[in-house]
Amino acid sequence: MISIEHITKRFPGVTALCDVDMEIAEGELHAVVGENGAGKSTLMKILSGVITDFDGRLVLRGQPVRFQDTRDAEEAGISIIHQELNLVEQLSAAANIFLGREKRNALGLLDDRAMERSARGLLAQLECQIDPQQVVRELRVGDQQLVEIAKALSLESGILIMDEPTSALTESEVARLYRVIARLRERGVTILYISHKMDEVFRLADRITVLRDGKKVKTLARSQTNSREVTHLMVGREIEAVNFSDDRRAGAVVLEVRNLSLAWTGHARGWRLRNINFQLHRGEILGIAGLMGAGRTELLECLFGSSPETPTGRILLEGREMKFTHAAEAKRAGIGLVTEDRKRLGLFAQMTVEENVTICALRDAARGGIVRRRQERLLADSMVNKLAVKTAGVDAPVISLSGGNQQKAIIGRWLLTKPKVLLLDDPTRGVDVGAKAELYRLMHQLCREGLGIILTSSELPELLTLCDRILVLCEGRLTAELARHEATEQRIMEAATMRNEEKSSAP
Amino acid sequence: MSRPFRRSEWGLLLAILVVFILTALLDDRHIYWHELKGLFSGGPNPWYERIPSGVNIIRQTAYLGIFAIGAAIVIIAGGIDLSSGSVIAFSGSICATFMVLLAPEAMKSATPVGIPVIVLAIACTLVIAFLIGTFHAWLITVVGLPPFIATLATLVGLRSLARAIVETVTAAAWGGRSAQISMFDAQFRYLATSIWIPVLLFIILAAAAWLLLSRTVVGRHLYALGGNEQATRLSGIHTDRLKWLAYCISALLSAIAGILYVGEQSGAYPQTLGQGYELNAIAAAVVGGCSLQGGIGTIPGTVLGVLFLRTVIDGIAKIIKTGADVYEGMIVGSVVVVAVALTQFREASKRGKQFFAGPMGTLTMLNLALLGVAVGALAGLNVTITVENPFVEGAPPTRMNVATWIGVKLLRIDSMQTYLTQRFKVDSLGCYVLGACVGAAVLGIVFILQRIEKRRAHVVTKD
Repeated sequence: MISIEHITKRFPGVTALCDVDMEIAEGELHAVVGENGAGKSTLMKILSGVITDFDGRLVLRGQPVRFQDTRDAEEAGISIIHQELNLVEQLSAAANIFLGREKRNALGLLDDRAMERSARGLLAQLECQIDPQQVVRELRVGDQQLVEIAKALSLESGILIMDEPTSALTESEVARLYRVIARLRERGVTILYISHKMDEVFRLADRITVLRDGKKVKTLARSQTNSREVTHLMVGREIEAVNFSDDRRAGAVVLEVRNLSLAWTGHARGWRLRNINFQLHRGEILGIAGLMGAGRTELLECLFGSSPETPTGRILLEGREMKFTHAAEAKRAGIGLVTEDRKRLGLFAQMTVEENVTICALRDAARGGIVRRRQERLLADSMVNKLAVKTAGVDAPVISLSGGNQQKAIIGRWLLTKPKVLLLDDPTRGVDVGAKAELYRLMHQLCREGLGIILTSSELPELLTLCDRILVLCEGRLTAELARHEATEQRIMEAATMRNEEKSSAP
Repeated sequence: MSRPFRRSEWGLLLAILVVFILTALLDDRHIYWHELKGLFSGGPNPWYERIPSGVNIIRQTAYLGIFAIGAAIVIIAGGIDLSSGSVIAFSGSICATFMVLLAPEAMKSATPVGIPVIVLAIACTLVIAFLIGTFHAWLITVVGLPPFIATLATLVGLRSLARAIVETVTAAAWGGRSAQISMFDAQFRYLATSIWIPVLLFIILAAAAWLLLSRTVVGRHLYALGGNEQATRLSGIHTDRLKWLAYCISALLSAIAGILYVGEQSGAYPQTLGQGYELNAIAAAVVGGCSLQGGIGTIPGTVLGVLFLRTVIDGIAKIIKTGADVYEGMIVGSVVVVAVALTQFREASKRGKQFFAGPMGTLTMLNLALLGVAVGALAGLNVTITVENPFVEGAPPTRMNVATWIGVKLLRIDSMQTYLTQRFKVDSLGCYVLGACVGAAVLGIVFILQRIEKRRAHVVTKD
C-alpha cells in the first residue's frame, strides 16, 4: 500500500535516515522499532507530511506522492498521533476533533451542535465516555489520546501512524487502546505502530521493521521471530539479562512514614493520599506501583516537601521527625528527588552538563558564596565518571546528551548532595533499551553502597526486576506491600485496582 | 562563562565601532573626528573637556546602565520589571521630599542643606526602594500576579503617588503647593554633575553585578530560575527568595539612578522624570543578548547594549543636529527589532525560512519601503549639510537642508530671492525626491534579500 523508497534525510550534523526502504501492506499492523535516535520519528514525520524536504520517494497505492504539508497527507488518508499529543488544551474535545475543518452553518458561523453530534458518534465508536463539550485540559492523558484517535477517524484515514501511544497510559488505558486498535483493524485501517516496548509489539504487530542509526536493519514477520532477536537487532549487541541476585542486604530503617495523608480540597474523594505507612531501609529499593492518578508522584512530593499542600502524619528520617515545607529542607536533610518529566521538571536546557550536575550542591564548590571553578569541575567530573555519562565533555550543552545520559546527569546532581534517600519518579520513561539496562545497574550499585531508594515506574516488569519490596497504591491508599518473592504482575494489578472490588462488595 | 565576552558581544562591540565611524563620517562637522584629534594632540584644557560628546555618551551610558543592569538581572531570572521609570521618578522625588522635610528652610531659600541631610535622605530613599522591590516580590510570589502585571501596576501607581507626596509636602512645608521640588544644593547636584561619580558608580555596580551573576552560587541559581523555574524549585533552591533579590536589586538600582537624575536636572519633577525609561532599560538588556524567556544574558552584554543605544542616539543627534530627541523612541524601537531580528535571521536562514514570502511578505516589503519614504522625507528637512553656495558664484560653502539643496539643484534656482519666494515648493520637491529615492532603495534591498532567501530556501530543500 505504501512503499518507502530510498529515503534519506539529513539534518545539520546528522543523517537521521539513510537510504531506508520499506513496504507496508494494506490492512496490516506494522511495527517500527528502534532505540531513541534510530530515526523512527523522522520517518513518520516524512510519511505524515511534517517533514517535506528529503531525498527518495513515497509511493502510495502505486502513485508517487510528495506531500507539501500535513494537510496533503491527511487528504491522502494518512494521519498521525504524535507522542506529544497535538491538542489545543483550552478547546473542547469536539473543537479539537474538527480543528481546521470546522463545520459551518448556512450563515458561515460555527455549527457547534453538528460538530458535537459527530464527535459524540466518533467517541462512541471508541467505546469511551468523553463529553465532546469538555475542555481537553480537563481530560486524562489516555482520554486526550482517544480524542486524537477520534480526530484521525473523522478524517476517515486509511493509514494511522501511532508514535509510542502507550508511553503515557496506565495499564487499563493500554488495554482499552488495544481494543480500539482491534476495532480499527476490523475496519481495515492500516496501522504503523512506533514503539520500543517489545511486549506491545509482539502482541499487536503483523510485521516488525527494525531501524538502527537511521538505517533499516530488517523487516520480520512476527511469527518468525522473538523479542530477543528484535532487541538484539535494535541495539546491535547482546543485552545481558540483568540479574540482580540477592547480594543486596537491607540495613537499618532510614525512612519511616506513619499515617501520611494529603488532602484534596474540592475533589469528591477528599484525599490524594490516605493513611500511608511504610518503612524504607538502607540498601533497599522500594518500588511504588499504581495506576496513573493513584498518588505515586504525590507520595514522593510529600516525602520531598514539594507538594503544594501540606501533608498530615509523620515522616521520620533516621528516627527524627521531619516537617519539610520546601524542597531545600529535604535536600539538606538528605533526601533527593529525580522528577518525572525530565524536560519540564528536571533539566536546565540552556545550561551545560557541568552546570546541570552541580546545581544542587554548588555551595560545596563555593567559598563565601563565590564559586571556585576548579572545585566545581572536580565535582562534575567525579559524577560524570562515576555514572559513566556519555558526553563530549562537561562543557557540552546538556541537551546534546541522549535521554538516558540526561537522566544520569540528573541522578548525579542528587548524588552530589550525599543523600540518604533517593526518590526516583519513573526514571526510565523515554529512555531506550540499552540505557535502561545501564540505569538499572546504576540503581543496583547505589543501593549496594547503602542508599535507600524509592522507585516508581509505569512499567511493572521494571519494578519486578529491581525492587526488594513493592508498595501498591490505589486511589491514594496503600493496598498491598509485596516482598520480592511474593510480587507478580497479577498480584500488583489486583491491588492496584482494588477499588472495584470494594465498590462492588460495599452495600 | 569563563570568557568575559561571547561571540555576540564581540559583534555588538563591532557594531558600536561601526556606528561611531559612520557618525564621524556622516556628520558634516565631523565632531567625533575633531574630538578624537583633540584628545590626542593635547591643549590647554583637561582631556575630558576636549571630548564633550564622548563625555556625554559616557555619562548617559552610566545613567541608563545603572538601572538597565537591574532590568537585565530580573530578565535573566525569568521576570520583567516594567516599573523602573516610575521607581526613578518616585525615588528621586522621595529623596527631594526627605530633604525638604529635614531642612525645609534651606531647601526653600536655596542655601546648602549640609552633608548629613543629604546622606540621610539618600539612605531613606534606598530603604524605600528596597521596600518597593519587596512589594513587587510579594505581589509576584505570594499573591501570584504575573511579573508583567505586578510591575505595570507600580509603573502606573508610583508616579502618581510621587506627585501626590510632593504636592502635599511642599504645601505643608512651604505653604505653597508645588508639583516639583527644585534642587539648588550644590553638594547634592555635584553627585550627578561631576562626571566621575556616576561613571565610577556605574563601573562598580556593573562589576558587582557581573561578579554576582557569573561567579556566585546565587548568580547560577538566578540563571537556573530563569531557565526552568520548576526544576529550580525541585532542586531544593528557594526560588521565592531569588525573585525577592532580583526585584530588590532592580528597584535599588532604579532608585540610585533616580537620585542622580534629580541632581542632573536640578530638581525632582515627578511627572516627567524617567518617563518611559523602563523600556529603554529593557531594550538595552535585550540588545545586549538577554532573552525575555529568561535564563540567558550577561552583564557585559547589557553594558554593551546600553553603550550601543547611547552611541546610536548620540550619533543621530550629531547628524540631525536639532531636535534629535524626537527620534529617540524611533531609534530605540528599531535597534531592538534589528538586533533581535538579526539573530533570528541567522538561525532561520540556515533552516531556509523565508521572511518575505506570501502576501504578508509583500505587505512587509511595502511597509519597509513606506518607512523608507517617511525617513527619507524627514531626513530631507532635518539633516543639514555643508555645500557650495548655490546662489553666489565663488562664495564660501554654506549650510543647508538636504531637501533644499536637492530642490535648488533640480529647479535650477540661482538666486536667494527666487528661493525665498518658492521656498515651500523647493523644499517639498526635495523631500519627495529624497523620500522616493530612499523608499526605492529600501525596496530594492528587500527585493534582493527576498531573491536570496528564495534561492537559499530552494537549495536547502534540495539538500
